[in-house]
This record gives sequence, C-alpha cells and structure tokens, in this order.
Amino acid sequence: MRALGAHLWLQLRLDVREKGTLLNFYLVPLVFFFAMGAVFASIDPALRAVLAASMTVFAVTMGAIMGVPTPIVRMREAGTLRTLRVSGIPRRAVLAVQAVSAFFHLLCVSLVIFALAPLAFQAPLPQAPGLYFAVVAVLLFASIGLGLLIGVVARDQAFATMLSMIVFLPSVLLSGMMFPASLLPRVLRWLALALPATHAVQAFDGLAYGLRTAQNPALSLATAGGIGVIGWVLAIWKLERAADIQA
Amino acid sequence: MTEPVVAIEGLRKSYGSVLAVRGVDLDVTKGEVFGLLGPNGAGKTTILECLEGLRRADAGRLRVASCDPQAEEGHLRRHLGVQLQSGTLPGGLKVKEALGLVCAWHGIEQRPDLYDRLGLRELLHRRFAQLSAGERRRVELALALVHDPEVIALDEPTAGLDVESRARLHAEVRSLSAAGVTVLLATHDMAEAEKLCDRIAIVIGGRIAFCGTPDAVTAAGSSETRIRLRTRLGRLPAADVGLARFLRVKGDYREWTCTDAAAAVTDILRVVQVEHDVVEDLRVELPTLEERFLELVKEAERA
Repeated sequence: MRALGAHLWLQLRLDVREKGTLLNFYLVPLVFFFAMGAVFASIDPALRAVLAASMTVFAVTMGAIMGVPTPIVRMREAGTLRTLRVSGIPRRAVLAVQAVSAFFHLLCVSLVIFALAPLAFQAPLPQAPGLYFAVVAVLLFASIGLGLLIGVVARDQAFATMLSMIVFLPSVLLSGMMFPASLLPRVLRWLALALPATHAVQAFDGLAYGLRTAQNPALSLATAGGIGVIGWVLAIWKLERAADIQA
Repeated sequence: MTEPVVAIEGLRKSYGSVLAVRGVDLDVTKGEVFGLLGPNGAGKTTILECLEGLRRADAGRLRVASCDPQAEEGHLRRHLGVQLQSGTLPGGLKVKEALGLVCAWHGIEQRPDLYDRLGLRELLHRRFAQLSAGERRRVELALALVHDPEVIALDEPTAGLDVESRARLHAEVRSLSAAGVTVLLATHDMAEAEKLCDRIAIVIGGRIAFCGTPDAVTAAGSSETRIRLRTRLGRLPAADVGLARFLRVKGDYREWTCTDAAAAVTDILRVVQVEHDVVEDLRVELPTLEERFLELVKEAERA
C-alpha cells in the first residue's frame, strides 16, 4: 500500500507538469461550464435549476472518456507500461493510479462547478448535497471505468479517440444534459440507457434536486454503478491477459 | 553439476504465420555472462521476452531463478532485472523519482551506491525527456539493478552509448558476474560479446546455430589465422613457408594464413634465422567472432 500511495502522489505531481492533463481535466470543462452556463441561464431558466449537475455530468464525462484513455494508450505505444512492468510495477497498479488521479482531478472540477454555479449563474443548490456528491462519485466511478476500458482496448491513439467520441457525443446529446431526453425518438432513448451520463442525469434530478424523473433515480444510480463495474472488470481483465501485446 | 539459473527447453513462439523461435534449448549457470547473438529478426529478443514474462510461449518449459516466468510474474520480478531494447519512461518524470518509485515497489530504500557506480549522480534531478539516449540507457540499467536481482537480462545495452559509458557498463557487467549475478546479454556487437561473455549462443532463423565459449565458436569455423611479418632486411620469400600459406605482400609486410598458428610461426621464424634477417614486427591475428558469425549466417542462408 505504501508503494501504491507513493506512486499515486508521484502521478499527481506528474499530472501538474502535463499540459494535456490540465487541458482535459480542468481547462476545457471549466471553459464549457462558463460558456454553456451563460447560454442555459439566458435561454431556459428551467435548465438553470440543475445547471451545476448538467455541467458536472459534462465535465466528468469529457474528462473521463476523452482524458483517461490518452495516457494509457500513450504508455502502451511508447513502451512505458512494459518498462514499468519489468521494473516490478504491476500493470493493474498503473491502471489504478491513472484511475484514482483522474478521480481526484475530476472531483476537484466538480467541486469548482458546484461552488461557482450559484455565484456565476444564480443556480440553486441541490436539496440534498450529500446525495448530489454520492451521484458525482458514482458517475466518476462509471465514467472512469469506461475510460480505462477504451484505453486498454484501443490499439492506438487514433482508435482511442474514435472510441471516445462514440461514447462522448451520445453522452452529451442523448443523456438529457442539454435538453430533455423525452424529446428524443424512442430508439435513441434506449441507446442512451447504455451510457452512465443518462443515469447520472436521472439520479441528480431525482435524488439531489427532488425533481420528477422518467426512471426510478435510485435504480438509475445503481445502473450507472453497474456500468462502472463492468467497465473496470473488463479493463483489468483485458490488461492482465494481454501478455503478448504492448502491455 | 550446478543447477542452471536460467533453463529453456523446447521453446517455440510464432507471430501469426511467422515462426520466430523454433525449439530452443539453453542452460545458463550462476554468475555466467551468456550472450545471445544473431542478425535482426533472428529471435533473440523474443527468447528474452519469453524469459522476462512479456510474451507467452507457444510451447516449451522456461525457468528463471527457480520460477516460471509465464506463470509467476510477481515472483519473477523480485529475482530478475530487465533492461529492455526500447524501454522508456514518462518524459516529465525525474530520474530520482523514477528510481524512487521502483525502489518503493520493491520495498527497498534508494541506492546512492548504485547511482554513483553508474554515474547517475548528476542526472538525478533531470527529467527523462531531457536525457540523451546514452543517459537513458544508464537510467534503465539502474532500474534493472536497483533490487539486486539474481539474473539480469540486457537487450542491446550499449546501443547509443559513448565510449566511456560503454566501458562503465562493461565493468559493471564484470562486477555483477563476479558477485554471482547471471547476465543474459542480447547484442549485435561481436567485440562486446567476445570481451564480456563466458558463453554465447548464435541464433539464426529462430534456432541456436552454435553455442559455446567465444573461443570455441571461432575455433569451430573455417576461418584461418593470419600472420603478418616485417623484417629489417625483407629477405623472406613471397611464398609458402612450411605450414604458412603465402597470402600477399602489403607494404613492408609479408602475410600468410594458417590453421595451426604455433607451428606456422615456428616455420617462419626458422626461415628468418636462415636468411640472417631480424624480426621488426610480428602479428598473429586470430579469426574473429564476427568472421565466424558471418560464416554461420551464410551457411544458414545456403541451407
């Protein structure tokens, strides 16, 4: 555990030195938060009610789905993962450190959005802040799980970007974050159920803000967690059995 | 007989339809420096990677320091140090941080003694991206040695190193061997193999074409020893002398070839005496490992 702690601390310091990490995890989500927050607040006051939650879903989904796979694929392509492995650092530890550091950064961004939404856009605070952060934690777990899976499965950076876009764009467009999911055709609503962002939006609305939701919000939260478990298990399984690839 | 520290029996490995290793058997004993030589794509790195647990063998039995590299990775990492042919670390990572991280995972303290030995002291606070190719190789070697492994596998360790770093690495390999560490060395550098290795295996087309001491490998070839002689008066005939077959006149030198150098030199010196001449320079050049290696490659191509 001491080694894992030292590794995590080192990773967090490395992240500060890495421009891509700061861009994916902080700069782009916060710029989007300010830009979209201003648009949402002006065109539809109803969206303002859940602005912090919507922007958190966006930031976490973007950071985890677009940001997490990049360093994993880069490490595999460059041979860093092999070097660490032969130096006695287990592959699953490298994966865990990447995941925990992403969790930390995205939680920081979520806190910033939670704090700034009322100040910048007069967004109301959630009725149940504890449940709000429980949903944030589950969303982080699920989205990072999918990000890890993409990072482990993708052969190269281009393929990883394509897979990330396949998950990220529907998450933004179909989850109900930008506009009510009830406006979507039925087939797209079904498709959206495979995305943790969709379930997180339902869970935020129902559990944290006490709004009426199309699905049971507790069940949505559990489903998001389930998607996360599947993502994590598949990512670790795939990485461990890859004795013959770059890993 | 000593139990081998590294043992390979019937190793086979293919990549799709390409058979990279076709049934290799090897034993390496404690403290031995064992070289794997071969042309590009011969299978050296694949053999090493199977031993390092990085590739899954299709068939065969492997043991490294009493563990199965294909099944006991955690155990293997404690006993084996590896310097990869193309290893790398995150560019933003400082040398001291990288070494500290690996020490933490091995559950040991940092090793300033090792850093001094490998000349890393002045690099400790530099980032990996700022290091030259040779400096990176030294850092990677330190990562492989930091936990005092019983076996160390070095894949092209001197590629990109300057003369001083190369000499330092050679000295390090010799001292490791003297301390009982078994060294597996994959290299293209014949002179390095000849100088460092107790035994070598020449791998061609996924098979061991020859295995033995460097002297045994060179002696087994058809290459001949060359004798070059310069005398004060230049009275020696440009012709065969006893067992020495005349080759050519080059400048002030007469050159002969032979298979039995001792007998041929004796014959030549006898003629020098008879001619009342005086030897100014006598050179006996044994066939090199490189010549023998090229001979084996040609034989394999013909086969």
